[in-house]
Amino acid sequence: MNRLLNKKWFSVVFWTLILVVAWETGAFLVAGTKRTPENILPHLYQIIGAAFSTNKVTSDQTALQIVLINAGQTLLRAAIGFLLGTVLGFGLALLMKLSGIVEKIVFPYLMLIQMIPILGMAPIILSITGSINTSRIIIAAILTFYPVATNTLAGFNSVEKEKHELMYIYAANKFTVYTKLLIPGSVPYFFTGLKISAPMAITASILVDTLQGDGGLGCMLSQSLKHAMSIYVFWLIIFFSAFIGIFSSYLMGVLELLFTPQKHAERKKEGK
Amino acid sequence: MTQMLKRKKSIFRKIQENRKIQSALTFILPVLFGILFLILWQCGAINSLLHTDTFTLPLPSRINSILSQNIVKIMGNVKATVTVAISGLFLGSLIGYGIAVFASVCPRWGKGGLSIVAACNAIPIVALAPVMTNWTRTFSKNAEIRSMAAKILVVMIVCIANMSINAYRGLTEIKPYSEDMMAMYAAKPGVILRKLRIPNSVPYIFTALRVAVPSSVISAVVSEYFAEYVTGVGRQIRENIVQSQYSTAWAYIVAACLIGITLYAILLILESILLKKRV
Repeated sequence: MNRLLNKKWFSVVFWTLILVVAWETGAFLVAGTKRTPENILPHLYQIIGAAFSTNKVTSDQTALQIVLINAGQTLLRAAIGFLLGTVLGFGLALLMKLSGIVEKIVFPYLMLIQMIPILGMAPIILSITGSINTSRIIIAAILTFYPVATNTLAGFNSVEKEKHELMYIYAANKFTVYTKLLIPGSVPYFFTGLKISAPMAITASILVDTLQGDGGLGCMLSQSLKHAMSIYVFWLIIFFSAFIGIFSSYLMGVLELLFTPQKHAERKKEGK
Repeated sequence: MTQMLKRKKSIFRKIQENRKIQSALTFILPVLFGILFLILWQCGAINSLLHTDTFTLPLPSRINSILSQNIVKIMGNVKATVTVAISGLFLGSLIGYGIAVFASVCPRWGKGGLSIVAACNAIPIVALAPVMTNWTRTFSKNAEIRSMAAKILVVMIVCIANMSINAYRGLTEIKPYSEDMMAMYAAKPGVILRKLRIPNSVPYIFTALRVAVPSSVISAVVSEYFAEYVTGVGRQIRENIVQSQYSTAWAYIVAACLIGITLYAILLILESILLKKRV
């Protein structure tokens, strides 16, 4: 028993169970008092049931089909924006490290951009670009951009002075210093930035969907809320987007391990 | 060698090594850039760059005039958003800190809870906001209070995860030997918590708040989109765009940016006062 308690996953499972129990208790209470309990808090099995039911919600699609097809559309744009933002963010961080003047000009604005509610600007960007797909990509890119840029820059600056001195002794040129020292050194920080921004890119993409009615998760979300289709579609989308958000962050962690094998080895050693 | 020392430094080199000039430049350069940007915008360069007309992207002077004309109405909406952001931030940080303390006192149960909270952090706000609106439907007869509660809940959830993860690090990443010393004094866990862990976590609280303050404003703005009661800066941006009053919408965007910047500045001032005392 004690050995089971010491396992790391045990307490995770324990708290998940508590959450499930709390949800179900709430669902029972709501079911007893409300006229339409499924709008507020349906039972979990009802949601799962809706996912696997073959009843068609619209003329030709089941609930799960709707969610998956629209999710594909939304996530693809989120991914493009995310990639674009990553490249730009990394590039800017590199530029800021290379030139002190660029850093001085850009850094305060990088901080300021964090304060601007980009998501609030979604409708404006939509009206500027005119195309929902472009605006989805742009917003996802902007949101990805600054966590990546600030974190990578912090990574460049975190490289120890001794390592710089060693490179100096080797008479390494600037290019070598960057490729062998600075860029590898910034990788953990870079991934911290990615972990923050991956869920944000997805949030952005879903939010932009709600603005215009041509498909995508957010569009289905608002339609389902307005009871244009079964409310279970709404719950499915909620759970699906929560899952995707968590999964995207986890995926970045996995990628990080792939890129930094030595860290993985260290962690294993510690585990033993 | 001596020759090298005697050689006069070039002006460029001198500027680069002068501390005062450098620190002045960190202030002057961004300001110059900002002014240049505003001038370009006013002259219409930004509009032609983005291929938009002055209707969707109005000039700064127009935004400014709208801001000053509707200041009363805008301030009313700003108040609604700020109330939501600050109360959500406060409640969320408090709960998050509570979770972190719990996790540091009994790590066996707490760590798993912490990783679940961290997972909650990745749930998109867009998914949370409508759910919270549904849950608070019976909270009050008054739609204003009801949607206010829903919005505060969203901001709270966003802040909990952030605070709990950072505070947990502050509570556990203690200087080596200080924990051993506490053990030598035979200090009770409560005393260790009060005298060692909590003081150690203060800088980490501010790290968390630096992220939480902007994100609380953003979540307040986004949750307004889904709220029942039409109020707040975010909702006004959307309402005005639906009525294609883009200049007014831009005025609200500027207001939203100002909220974020002001709150962040207040945080930085608080931080410098509180952390200075400790050193």
